Amino acid sequence: MSFEPKILGIACNWCTYTGADLAGTTRLQYPQNLRVVRVMCSSRINPSFIFRAFQLGADGVLVGGCHPGDCHYNTGNLYARRRLAVAKKILEFSGIEPGRFRVEWISASEGNKFAEVVTEFTQQVKNLGPQTQFKISQ
Amino acid sequence: MAISFKQIEDKLKTEAKGLLETGKVSLVLAYGKGYDEKHPMPYAAKNAADAANIVFNEYCAANMARYLVRYPRGTKIAIAVKAADSRAVIQLIQEDKVKREDLVLLGIPVYGIKNFKTGEIIDSKTTGGLYNPVLYDILLGEEVHGQPVNSPYDVLVQYEAMDNEARWVFWKKEFDRCIRCYACRKACPMCYCDPCFIDQNKPKWGEKSPDSQGNLMYHLTRFHHLAGRCIDCGECSRACPVDIPLYLFHKKVAKECEEMFGQAAGMSIEDKPVLVNFRVDDSDKILA
Repeated sequence: MSFEPKILGIACNWCTYTGADLAGTTRLQYPQNLRVVRVMCSSRINPSFIFRAFQLGADGVLVGGCHPGDCHYNTGNLYARRRLAVAKKILEFSGIEPGRFRVEWISASEGNKFAEVVTEFTQQVKNLGPQTQFKISQ
Repeated sequence: MAISFKQIEDKLKTEAKGLLETGKVSLVLAYGKGYDEKHPMPYAAKNAADAANIVFNEYCAANMARYLVRYPRGTKIAIAVKAADSRAVIQLIQEDKVKREDLVLLGIPVYGIKNFKTGEIIDSKTTGGLYNPVLYDILLGEEVHGQPVNSPYDVLVQYEAMDNEARWVFWKKEFDRCIRCYACRKACPMCYCDPCFIDQNKPKWGEKSPDSQGNLMYHLTRFHHLAGRCIDCGECSRACPVDIPLYLFHKKVAKECEEMFGQAAGMSIEDKPVLVNFRVDDSDKILA
């Protein structure tokens, strides 16, 4: 059986989640590997969520937020951008493959982009294979 | 010119005595006698007679800024600061943990401080290339000039050159040794959260047993919490009973923060810590 990655998607309520909704209502096809968690803003994301997701067996983490400047709360994603950039550097320096974590800005009207990003990211994680470094062995 | 530790010690005693006698401060944080010369202890002098117990020698590496947040807000404190320690104080002022007007900083310009475990001089590793305190009220001694200024990030080169897999193997080996004594957290001047995320049960952020996954969660999250705040004193690695080179990772994060956001931690009391701040023109490239 071919490897099907588990991907955690953390999506902002106002843009990416609505964008995912749009992708659904316009009947766009994208892989089912993504498990979406809705948060009210990308700045709600504690970087520990990402580390913890990897520990609990996620093969990849995709974070979606509004485009900078379009945040529903004006500045949330600008804080999130700095925070997630640091989280990414930490993951890289610890030695996990950098391709397993990705941040994308997807607005509510970009259903197409959402489908594209998920397809591409799923393929990328599939090529990397199962994530075993962080995973807690049972 | 060699640093005269005895001279600094004498000046420290006089200043401490003066400040305590006039009642300008109720407490002087400096170094006191340990069980031998190599192990000076953190010491809080509370009256003029105590000032005689203060010592200063080449093993006084401890960062006294750690003890500032232990006293109630508004306590007038005088504190002995070396270069890195003064940055810690600045960072605490930025975070509104202490107030500038409550503090008297006794700056110590110094080099050649030694690690008490190995006897090795720590300048090139963890002072961030600084020898003079960034902020002080009273400078004990002359400013140091003419010492080699190393880039604080030089030691990182060999680790940055490793490929991902080798780095993973390196860090896994280091973190697996961790016994979770939390000495790094206790020694760190910036670690003041109560409770620490790792002590919380709801939500449970990570495993608490000293196994490899729990250690990884604890250390990575701690690196993130100290991003843009770590002032490179190296106390975490010196406090570590199993000698994990935590300072390397902290340095790397500090380097990235400085490159991405253009501001080093604890250099000016006007700054805001980088992660509670933003610029509209931060580039999206930092996420690539």
